[in-house]
Amino acid sequence: MKWEVFRQDKKKDYHTHVGSVHAPDAEMAKQYAQIMHARRKPANSLWVVPKGEIAEVHADDAGVEMGGTTRKEYRWATNYNTNESFAEEIEASQREQEEAEEDLAEADR
Amino acid sequence: MDLETVKEQSGPREFGPADEMPREYREAATRMIQFHANSEIMGAYIERPFIRQAPSLDRKLAVSAQVQDEVGHGQLLYRAAEELGIKTREEMLDELASGEGKFLNCFHYPLDDWYELPMIMFFVDGAAMRRQATLKRTSWEPYAHAIDKICFEEGFHIKHGEDILRTIATGSRRDRQRLQEAFEKWWPRILQFFGPTDDDSTHGGFATDVGLKTMSNDDLRNAFLNAYVPKAEKYGLELPEYPRVEYHADDDYYEVYEEDLDWEEFFTVAKNEHPTGAGQIDKRRRTQKAVEWVRDAIESPDTTGVSPAAADD
Amino acid sequence: MTLEGPGDLDDRERAAVEAELRCLGDDEFVTAERYTEWQVRGPTLESDIAVANIAQDELGHARLWYDLLEGFGHDQVDLIWERDPAEFRHATLVERPYEAGDWADPVLRGYLYDTYERLRVEALSESAYAPIADRVEKALGEEEYHREHAHNWLERLCEDAEGRRRVQAALDRLFPHALTLFAPTDREEAVVDTGVRPVPLSELRREWRNVVTPFLGSLGLEVPVADHAELLPAARGRDGDHTDAWESLYNEFTFTYEQLGRESAPALMPEPGEADADV
Repeated sequence: MKWEVFRQDKKKDYHTHVGSVHAPDAEMAKQYAQIMHARRKPANSLWVVPKGEIAEVHADDAGVEMGGTTRKEYRWATNYNTNESFAEEIEASQREQEEAEEDLAEADR
Repeated sequence: MDLETVKEQSGPREFGPADEMPREYREAATRMIQFHANSEIMGAYIERPFIRQAPSLDRKLAVSAQVQDEVGHGQLLYRAAEELGIKTREEMLDELASGEGKFLNCFHYPLDDWYELPMIMFFVDGAAMRRQATLKRTSWEPYAHAIDKICFEEGFHIKHGEDILRTIATGSRRDRQRLQEAFEKWWPRILQFFGPTDDDSTHGGFATDVGLKTMSNDDLRNAFLNAYVPKAEKYGLELPEYPRVEYHADDDYYEVYEEDLDWEEFFTVAKNEHPTGAGQIDKRRRTQKAVEWVRDAIESPDTTGVSPAAADD
Repeated sequence: MTLEGPGDLDDRERAAVEAELRCLGDDEFVTAERYTEWQVRGPTLESDIAVANIAQDELGHARLWYDLLEGFGHDQVDLIWERDPAEFRHATLVERPYEAGDWADPVLRGYLYDTYERLRVEALSESAYAPIADRVEKALGEEEYHREHAHNWLERLCEDAEGRRRVQAALDRLFPHALTLFAPTDREEAVVDTGVRPVPLSELRREWRNVVTPFLGSLGLEVPVADHAELLPAARGRDGDHTDAWESLYNEFTFTYEQLGRESAPALMPEPGEADADV
């Protein structure tokens, strides 16, 4: 049985996928995961999830258009740009969206 | 973990589902996050009529997306609250529908028309954003994670709200008059958004001690006024004479005369007993009751008389 | 022969293109308008969020088609906000009101509508009017999700006795109105023989019934079998004749526009045809 492993480097980080292990049950999967994915660089936490329980939807699947095909700028703070100054938390939200847009553009290249 | 240890160790994103948190902490965090989640849902009820009433296609799209985001934020927050192990999402949603669940004062008052919309979409959402930004440092990690996503999405709400405000404010004399009337009606409620002064706050002390809350009501309100009073003025809105709000330039502080505010109404609202708020809760109750059959159908389908192929499932 | 833009059209062709675009745009706009009623009223938080997305997609499609009408000198104000309600050309299916909590209705209506939309828009990929053909892909790109969503829900609901009873009731009520999707406008002949839409509506209706009847039947539902002429409701929508639900809906969505007394509809993002924002 295959288990996908999600690792949290240090406290307060998000868990991210790092790989998988073969194991007959969750207890053994946790043991293997520690060896496979935390032996050199200790992790703060690992999650193991049965691979069969993970359902995937892929951008290349027929009929799948994640984010749609028509214009969606109305949901981006960056679309409402004026010469205004905004409260700092609004500016921060916008910066995060700008970074996300850059990441997407980066991935497209 | 005992309470003393919690208070000693408390810091941004310090505690998560793996920690054994004392019941007092879990209850206080549940109360706070459930209140936040409920407010998202009830805020969506206030804004939803304006999807239909939006005066352009793009505005309609934006308002629909905003209402959608509020429900999405409710979804994230209920999950963060659920992880405290006190209540399930179903229980919290049932409490909201039954009138037991509490939510922000401003969402107890339905909006009359488009002129009032920026009062919620700019000022109230702006105040909410102010508070939320400080919660990125809350001690319950799942709450902070939900806040990360909420703050990421919510910026456009306030910017669209400001765009609506600007459009009305640069309109006819009649438009500006109606905007001013809307502002005067809403301004006291907006000042009460952050609750009573810290002294009167019932749970504020504990929530601060254990790091759930990272900024006092007073400081939050002041930070909000610092950013938004100049905005109101920029759009030609005049602060009403009462409730008195005085700016003290030397320490960059807005003094709000709390005795000018109607706290009796505020506490009636807080208990879900104000008629308009009760009406909003009643809407929620009716709409949820009307779709109960769907939840029953998907959770425990009654397969009597349905085709064999489906019954085998 | 390809018609590249408004300048290439004679009067008959122009009337055909406009008639086709109005049907498309109005259907999408009114469909979305009804969908948004489910926002904060769905059976679960997740379904609420999904239905909002579908509504926004349909509004995006309305923008695609209305934008092409702007090429003929129209603007959003005369296309929507100041248009006489009797000038709207959507089918009656999309204007019908929902009963509170009747989730079977939007699910079934969505299925009937999205199946129709796919067939009609696919037929338009061969349109002699190039600007229409060029936008087909954008409209179809989002339809698959809508149809999957409707399929999944119909299957779930029909596994439950009460669910299936409700879907059947919605089917009995909505099927005649769904047939108005294929009701011709007075330009149908010109639309077909100018090649604006090379496939006649009668042909699309046959295809549609060949898809929906077996699928719904496989869920244990009884699908009306009578000829469309027998089933069609009195009001057909496509000729400007609408059901009683339309006027109140129209008055609600034009309320703020009227109240503000402006003569413009604020745009917040680029037109569908403009080059994609530089990301």
